[in-house]
Amino acid sequence: MTTESVPAGGDPRRLLSDARDLARRVRLDQRVTWLPLLVLALMTFGAIPAYRYGRVISDCHPANDGQVCTVWLQTVTFYWLAALVLAYVVIAGGYLRAARARGVDTRVLPYAVTGVALIGLGFAFAAVWTHLNPLAYPEEPSAFAQFLFRLLDPPGAIGLALLVLAWLERHVALLLFTLGYLAVVLVPINFGWGAHWGPHTWFIPQLVINGSALLLGSAGFTLAQRLRRPR
Amino acid sequence: MTDAADTPEPDEIESPHPVTGLDDVVHQRVRLGILTIAHEARRVEFGYLRTQLELTAGNLSQHLSVLETAGLVQVEKGYAGRRGRTWITLTSAGNTALADEIGRLKLLIARVETTDTQDDR
Repeated sequence: MTTESVPAGGDPRRLLSDARDLARRVRLDQRVTWLPLLVLALMTFGAIPAYRYGRVISDCHPANDGQVCTVWLQTVTFYWLAALVLAYVVIAGGYLRAARARGVDTRVLPYAVTGVALIGLGFAFAAVWTHLNPLAYPEEPSAFAQFLFRLLDPPGAIGLALLVLAWLERHVALLLFTLGYLAVVLVPINFGWGAHWGPHTWFIPQLVINGSALLLGSAGFTLAQRLRRPR
Repeated sequence: MTDAADTPEPDEIESPHPVTGLDDVVHQRVRLGILTIAHEARRVEFGYLRTQLELTAGNLSQHLSVLETAGLVQVEKGYAGRRGRTWITLTSAGNTALADEIGRLKLLIARVETTDTQDDR
């Protein structure tokens, strides 16, 4: 601490470098990166029972030489909507609380709003697409449509919202982590598991992988934060 | 006949030296630090500023008072539980003043570097 008066002005290079350093320190103190990753990991693991035991509504009608069915995973849809809205509320609240306890405010609200908006957009996109492009088995949506579905599916939407958080916080490590996570979500890892598990269990490995990636990320950022903070 | 070296460059005639535009209120290490932190943090607590800038409470209060009088920051007093807390927020004038100061500092550095290069020739 000093009580000396500080000379006015100074070397412009030093002033700019001091300002940049202060801004960087504030950004570090605003981050609570482990929290969204942990909450979203828990929500992802929580989706497993919803898929496994949830209610599925199918509407079938005869087609040319068989029947066309529209399948709606009712419980899963409601689970993701409720779980992710709750998750973003918890994340925003926790972020604000932690940052304010350190003496600064945070930019988490645009992230939470984007997260909720993407969930709504994802379900709206799926509903409109299915209505406009009904497919008869064994037809499959185009590769581009499948990519969009995966991107706007809840696990993909989680990644897109994390990109927004990385941008808001200018957090390069989070950006790299999120790109890796999105790669896992968009290019599903499949070693043939679940091929004969039945319609209620084939998705479990992918949910476990997504949730584990988020959980590992949360642990990694917690560790990094602990190592950085002076004891 | 005029010596070419004495003829000022057109941009020197049109734009004044960046130093002339510097605002004394903002062009000061601590006050620039306060504005930078408040801009990045959106809202910052008095104690946080004191720690980051390594100042005494009295010294920080003096600088805050200068910035508040100039309309660049807004100071709010409140309570967190039983503890009194003072929060500082940047006003829109403060935001503009900070952006102007940073812009002028960058210009000044660019100008100094250009002059140094010309002197070296």
